[in-house]
Amino acid sequence: MPKYAMVIDQRRCVACMACVVACKKENDVPLGDFRTRVVEKTEGTFPQLRMELRSELCNHCDNPPCVYNCPTGASYKNKDNGMVLLKKYRCVGCKSCVAACPYDARYINEEKGFADKCTFCEHRVKEGKEPACVATCIGKSRIFGDLEDPKSAVSIALRENHSEVLLASAGTKPRVFYIKKYGKPE
Amino acid sequence: MELTVTGANAITSPHLHVWDWRVSLYLFLGGLSAGLAIMTSILHVRKGGKLAEGEIAAVTAPLYVPLILSIGMFFIFLDLERKLNVFWFYLTVQPLSPMSWGSWGLLVFYPICILYALAMLPDQYRPKLTLPFLINLSERLRAYRLHLAACNFGMGIFIGIYTGVLLSSFVARPLWNSAILPVLFLTSAMSAGAAFMIMIAKEKKVKLFFTKVDIWLILAEMVLLPLFFYGQYTSSGAHRESILPFFTFNHDYFWYGLGLLLLVVILPAAMVLKFLEVQEDHGEELTPVALMKMNLSALLVLLGGLIIRFSFVYAGQLSHLS
Repeated sequence: MPKYAMVIDQRRCVACMACVVACKKENDVPLGDFRTRVVEKTEGTFPQLRMELRSELCNHCDNPPCVYNCPTGASYKNKDNGMVLLKKYRCVGCKSCVAACPYDARYINEEKGFADKCTFCEHRVKEGKEPACVATCIGKSRIFGDLEDPKSAVSIALRENHSEVLLASAGTKPRVFYIKKYGKPE
Repeated sequence: MELTVTGANAITSPHLHVWDWRVSLYLFLGGLSAGLAIMTSILHVRKGGKLAEGEIAAVTAPLYVPLILSIGMFFIFLDLERKLNVFWFYLTVQPLSPMSWGSWGLLVFYPICILYALAMLPDQYRPKLTLPFLINLSERLRAYRLHLAACNFGMGIFIGIYTGVLLSSFVARPLWNSAILPVLFLTSAMSAGAAFMIMIAKEKKVKLFFTKVDIWLILAEMVLLPLFFYGQYTSSGAHRESILPFFTFNHDYFWYGLGLLLLVVILPAAMVLKFLEVQEDHGEELTPVALMKMNLSALLVLLGGLIIRFSFVYAGQLSHLS
């Protein structure tokens, strides 16, 4: 069984926002809503400044609070590939999952009323393609693949680099890993 | 530090809220109906039912429970984005979702409080039910009054706690993620129930009994509130930051500071008023002034409950782990 994950190599991100645009186009995300975002954080005092560019999206957690809090079973973790997905027809739009996500990765699709989020482009993955954000990433900052396959790009990236997850203390066991531009020495 | 986020959703922006006044009102009215159910059961069971003798609230209070609950449910229904899908709540049981077991709990609570109201209907009021089926049911249920009172009490406790657990189960929202919150909400619900009972009761002995009950409940709230803030302050950084809106009197957080300030005034004021009511020698009948004081202190308690729900629902959504 594949165990899909994403690695964000922050050293290679240029904040071109191509991933944000590709995601919106691929998934027909309504105007004003986003499944992925890019955080640009500037720290320090001029002239000694440093900037962190961080792409954020659903972390497809192994311990997903959005799934646990969903009262109708609309949010679920796919047993075949580990992706956190949504049965749209079951969603009542109670916003429990939106409140439960520590990463603020969910939003209410105002046009249709359900709580939407990144699906790792499951429809593309089924066809053997990469998620739209990964395919379009000009700096190859986003890496997608199967953690169970030692030869996959994500496995290699995680093996060769120090990586971190967001809000590890939340205990959600995310499947999106970050190779930081700075931070702990490599 | 400068922060620019491209692609942030309006609903996940800290300036907007996932849950708004509809959820706050639902939590308040749900809590009030739960508290009233508990107090109604106590009224009927206390002194072997003697306390309820000649008291009109013994008939009206059980009727108010499903009515108030229905109004609360209406507001949560308004909050749902896909209202026609509401039936999915009852086609599944999600044991880890408080909203799931809460919705099932409400499904149990409704018939129990309605059956209880029917069982408590005195003989002279039964013909008003009009339908022979309901009159028969009311007569038959009379034999099970004590059992129904116990169930009503138990479900009241369950719903009162549930309104707090609904918020406290979110690890993502540090302000809500406290074990004290369900206890605080239950205490506030019971206090509001006692206050409502004081307002609708006619007999002096009933009003004074629930005034005494409310004094203890307000006292418990006044202990729980500082304990809650103390617990948050001594916890992680995110928990400590989550209570800042209540203690930062700037324009961003004005309403939260004002809410806490009001609670600090309202709860002790209500308790002192109630204490004076109990101490006073009222004579045979309550004077209009005494009645006004009782209603005023009860209103203060209800206002306190409303402020707690509103401020916690809104402030909780400002709090984040990062």
